Amino acid sequence: MNQWIKLSFRNIIKNKRRSFVTLMAIAMGFTAINLFSGYTHSTYEGMRASAIRGSGIGHLTIYKKGWNKFGKSDPDKYMIDKKEINKIIKIIEENDSVILATPRLDISGIVSNGRNSTIFMAQGVIPADDKTILGTFFDFQPVTGKTLNTKKEYGVQMATDLAQYLQLKPEDDAVVMAATLDGQLNALDIQISGVYDTGLDAINDKFMKVPFRFAQSLYDSEKADRIVVLLDNWKNTSIVQHQIMKQLKDAGIKCEIKTWEELSAFYSNVKNMFDRVFLFIFSIVLDIVIMSTVNTMGMSVIERTREIGTLRALGIKKRGINMLFAIEGAMIGFIGSVVGVAFHMMIWFIIFIASPTYTPPGSSSPVPLQVDFLPGTIFFMLMCMIFLALIAAILPARRAANQNVVDALGHV
Amino acid sequence: MNLIEMKNIIKDYYLGETIVQALRGIDLKIEKEEFTAIWGPSGSGKTTLLNLIGTIDEPSSGDLYFNGDKINNITDNNKSEFRNNEIGFIFQTFNLIPVLSALENVMLPLQIMGVSASKAKKEAFMRLSDVELEQYVNSRPDKMSGGQRQRVAIARALITNPSIVLADEPTANLDSKTSNSIIEIMKKINKKDKTTFIFSTHDQRLLDQMDRLIQLEDGRITE
Repeated sequence: MNQWIKLSFRNIIKNKRRSFVTLMAIAMGFTAINLFSGYTHSTYEGMRASAIRGSGIGHLTIYKKGWNKFGKSDPDKYMIDKKEINKIIKIIEENDSVILATPRLDISGIVSNGRNSTIFMAQGVIPADDKTILGTFFDFQPVTGKTLNTKKEYGVQMATDLAQYLQLKPEDDAVVMAATLDGQLNALDIQISGVYDTGLDAINDKFMKVPFRFAQSLYDSEKADRIVVLLDNWKNTSIVQHQIMKQLKDAGIKCEIKTWEELSAFYSNVKNMFDRVFLFIFSIVLDIVIMSTVNTMGMSVIERTREIGTLRALGIKKRGINMLFAIEGAMIGFIGSVVGVAFHMMIWFIIFIASPTYTPPGSSSPVPLQVDFLPGTIFFMLMCMIFLALIAAILPARRAANQNVVDALGHV
Repeated sequence: MNLIEMKNIIKDYYLGETIVQALRGIDLKIEKEEFTAIWGPSGSGKTTLLNLIGTIDEPSSGDLYFNGDKINNITDNNKSEFRNNEIGFIFQTFNLIPVLSALENVMLPLQIMGVSASKAKKEAFMRLSDVELEQYVNSRPDKMSGGQRQRVAIARALITNPSIVLADEPTANLDSKTSNSIIEIMKKINKKDKTTFIFSTHDQRLLDQMDRLIQLEDGRITE
């Protein structure tokens, strides 16, 4: 076997220029795929964390059955009352994968500084629970002033553009107005505890975070519209969803449980888009690798026709000729990929050191360009490239093996 | 028993719609240890006859026997094994593998056979010594003269101790001095190892050394 590997390797280095071009095509393709794969991996991670923690939807969200269909027209009927909240949280927190279960109440209405008014959307949260859900994202959403706390029940966190529009700053007072669940107009004083950037352009001019109790007061209710569940690992989402569903059903609670993926349409859409882009790039690289290898091996077969005839005359079988060229193809794939690994590591390191940033669509602030280093993917791609090059070599190899020995020996 | 026996061998080639009759009913017997030449003018069918004996070509009709066994209808794999075990080829243009050294070229038939690299190396070195090329074991073909390359080809043809060595115009590309030396080496091996040599040639220096001459003309044996 060593002899054939040696023969293949020497034939590769014999045609330096041609082999160099083929190896570079494979190396560049390999680098492009792995860098893009590392980028999408990092983006998925970031978007997943942003959806679960940054936007605060947690891993699972529990609604009373019918909320998503009829909740808007008859919210009071489809909200979870105090007794159920306690019962649900008690059941959920028995699950080992659950870190936290917390009630939420989303509210909307009009906020006014006394001179100007505008619409607002707010999330009623339990401040300590919200901080736990935010986790490391707490540091990515710096607050000017103070964060939410239970001591000041009318203190709110206001998004930057909304605060700017209403010319409000920390410690300033304002008024919020909304219809209660009974349809009565209600107004409450608020004080701006802090101002912060939500990270999303679309809601930065209308969003607030308010204490859960405050949201309930504005709606004159003791209910929540959902219970958000934080898990120890996103990978457990589906399993825990089914476990909790069963537990709640057994306890006689009729509810719906949505996963973070179902609630974050943005994540799904972007992931779908990136997956398609990845497939597109992979197809192009696949074409380049196959065409380059077929071309190189095809040229090699033509140039080495007499050599093939000699080997056949010496007693090599057709499958031996196939194997010889397959080894050569696989070797081209392997060497090209190894060079690709070196390129990939170099570019990855430059990105890691330079830490460039960019502003993605819909984002209100720049984010670092991150490319994850994925040894598993690199190894998989290495195997893929070797296999592709091997397959690409088989076509010309079959042609070589099936040549008439006399014709091959007489080839000039 | 004859080593090679050909019965009414016909070989036709197709050039477009024209049929070219290269061999027109050859009956031939070759015995062990012969030092034989097939000779005749260009286009008489010498190389075709050699190719058929070497099983790298197939007759249009007729039968070919090796040691009494019919071999023209065996499978391609069996033909490959037959060539590897029983036949040694020496070509006019040497046909060495350019990326391999002299030693590696000579090792090749043994490695095709599946012999271990160390044993093949040892045998190849001995064969290269037989053709007085011990000093060139690591040289690549492009660094060697025509005569040296042909001697490497002879060593390669003999490495498996074949029953027959088929040499197609082995001295055509060599000068007189080198030709004589090559002929002498092959003659010596024929006597020493009792290897059968069949040449295709019209080189008078080579013909003068033959034990038997088979003349071909227009695809027929004329003597």
